[in-house]
Amino acid sequence: MNTIAIFLEVHQPRRLRRYSMKEIGHSHSYFWDEKNYEIMQRVTKKCYVPALKVFMESGVKASVSLSGTFMEQAKEYAPESIDEFKSYFKSGLSEAVAETYYHSLASIWNESEFAEQVKQQVSALKREFGVKPESFRNTELIYSDKIADAVKSMGFKRVLAEGTDYIISRHSPNYIYRAKSGISLFLRNYRLSDDISFRFSNWEWPEYPLTADKYARWISETPGNIANLFMDFETFGEHQVAETGIFEFVRALPKELKGRGIEMVTLEEADRMFEKSQTISVPEITSWADTRRDLSPWLGNEMQKQAFSELKRIDKKDHVWRSLQTSDHLYYMSTGTSQDITVHEYFNPYKSPYYAFLSFMNVMQDIKMQ
Amino acid sequence: MKVAVIGWELPPFFSGGLGIHTFNLFSELSKMIDVDVYVPHLGPLYPFNSIKSKANNDLAGIYGYYQFKVWRKSGFNYSWQLYYPFNVRFVEIGASEYNFYDAVERYNRAFDKIDINGADIVHCHDWITFRAGIKIKERFRVPLIVTVHSTEMDRSGGFYPQKWIMDIEKDGMREADRIIAVSQYTKKMIVDTYGIPKEKIFVVHNGVGRHFLELPPRNYHSTGRVLYFGRITAQKGPEFFIEAASKAIDMHPGIKFVIAGIGDLLNKTKEKAESALPHDSYRFTGFIDLNEALNLYRSSDAFVLPAVSEPFGITVLESMSSGTPAIISKTTGVGESLRNVLKADFWDTDMIAEYIVGIVKYSGLRSTLGMEGVLESKQFTWKRAADETLKVYRSK
Repeated sequence: MNTIAIFLEVHQPRRLRRYSMKEIGHSHSYFWDEKNYEIMQRVTKKCYVPALKVFMESGVKASVSLSGTFMEQAKEYAPESIDEFKSYFKSGLSEAVAETYYHSLASIWNESEFAEQVKQQVSALKREFGVKPESFRNTELIYSDKIADAVKSMGFKRVLAEGTDYIISRHSPNYIYRAKSGISLFLRNYRLSDDISFRFSNWEWPEYPLTADKYARWISETPGNIANLFMDFETFGEHQVAETGIFEFVRALPKELKGRGIEMVTLEEADRMFEKSQTISVPEITSWADTRRDLSPWLGNEMQKQAFSELKRIDKKDHVWRSLQTSDHLYYMSTGTSQDITVHEYFNPYKSPYYAFLSFMNVMQDIKMQ
Repeated sequence: MKVAVIGWELPPFFSGGLGIHTFNLFSELSKMIDVDVYVPHLGPLYPFNSIKSKANNDLAGIYGYYQFKVWRKSGFNYSWQLYYPFNVRFVEIGASEYNFYDAVERYNRAFDKIDINGADIVHCHDWITFRAGIKIKERFRVPLIVTVHSTEMDRSGGFYPQKWIMDIEKDGMREADRIIAVSQYTKKMIVDTYGIPKEKIFVVHNGVGRHFLELPPRNYHSTGRVLYFGRITAQKGPEFFIEAASKAIDMHPGIKFVIAGIGDLLNKTKEKAESALPHDSYRFTGFIDLNEALNLYRSSDAFVLPAVSEPFGITVLESMSSGTPAIISKTTGVGESLRNVLKADFWDTDMIAEYIVGIVKYSGLRSTLGMEGVLESKQFTWKRAADETLKVYRSK
């Protein structure tokens, strides 16, 4: 391959505080302001600002999506990260990608709610950064033919999805395809993506340490047109902390790629470069999460199902209700499989799915009473 | 390898958890090595007068139900040697009248003369056998392993621990070549309270009885019933249960509370319940046997153990393997390796009440905790405990 497209998801949920049953009907402040502030501050200092500086200094091209709940909190708690993203968009190295404002599951249950949240997100991007996205990436790469239809009808030209084992058993992720709806479909190369996002600092990995030279060589030796490297933005400095050498890796990467004739492109550039000869149908919903790559991280157990159906029933169409739709709230309630449990616990501010559920349900009782 | 186990009680003659532990653990270990279990020959006399009766439901203790299984299997003309998978060696203590502390004294003294028939290792259990273990170690120059099931600090709930017992505990722990603690919680207690170096302490969790691991799945229709099951004694925190119950009823009227078991605080707890709870909202069952216990577990929405200091807490695993969500104190040892339980400080009855109501009110919480709990409890087998114990025997 001589092309790579990096896509980075930037997202922070508005976490709920522990809201007890006794507060139902009395207190209507649900969000965990201190924690949200603390996390936004920390991630801005460790990740957003230094990573963007490195990207711009060394000319790393990446398409990025910023959730609305991220933008709100960034403006409130760490505006310097917004400034840094502004510069990145201005530098011409980045393409803005759309999603739902609330990083929600609206796409799987309510098409008009889905469209509404995407609209909100698009106008927020325009307002903050003056950019107009043409590519779409749904929450945690949740995808199906049906979702691609909706995405097309909203006017997007391309969409991102997971290259699941099932899909890549017949279609290499290293080409660009057409979704059934006709828009361009990019499949994540999970092996090459996870080499950075999960394995980079893993001492037990036989390939440890991963150098930019080695990584560029792997890409050049892999057949296909394009390496689609999709991951959390927070990989750079937060999941993989500075001490792992991740920033040195990123700094060295453009040179190593160039030396092998590999070009870094945005999604839009890639779309123009390559033919889309085949159409891929994905009838069942897929995602990039956990080992099963489906909806189970959000709707895998009875708690999650109960919380989700309560949430749908409330249907208030206001900012608070929509903030509760952020998929992370359900993710925190996941009991997971043993392989994934460490990842879930890493992200769970409540440490236990049961406590997350209780607070969420209590909050919903209060909303219902209003 | 041959191990001499200095025990205290064995089914069907026992009153507490030590007998179950001895029986289950050494049944498994005897498949791998030679095991001699020593127990005092107490005749028909036994602690708390509860054993000297025939095989009926009055037979004793909260764990009475384990006895019937053994008893019935071997019939009324049972034979010890016939039934146990290990050698049982009775130690004559020559008491004509039973007194617990006197029996402990005589039992330990008897090991001045006992020959351990070539055992390579001596393994004893709690302070009541520690002095015998030390003697064997000195007389036969074999390594001493002691298991700490509970300490005087646990049993007294931190109130007025008896110093002379703590001294015996400390001697046993010091003399031991290796110590097995039933939880990290207990290990920490041994290090902090008894000043023992942590390097020689190994943690081996108990198992849960096989019949609990083979139950069919339960349903999760709410019964509105919440269970306390265990000895009613300060260590287990029954007063906190009543307090939490009262708060839970305030939030969600209609919950019913069942308090199963007996103990020195039974009457006090009854009085407390009477003044704090509506009359039709609670019930004390007294002693219960295996079937009753299983029925209670499986017909309750939640099981609560607000123990002040619980070295392990086997009932937590029994509840989980029955499919019933457990709410436990942070000072319950088994909780340290469990994800699928709700934990609170034993004194935080607001939190416990919230958990109770949450489980009764939200079916999603009830069934997820229940189903995940069943899976999680299955890892606590006696086979695993035996494998780990053998590793401790073989470690240097």
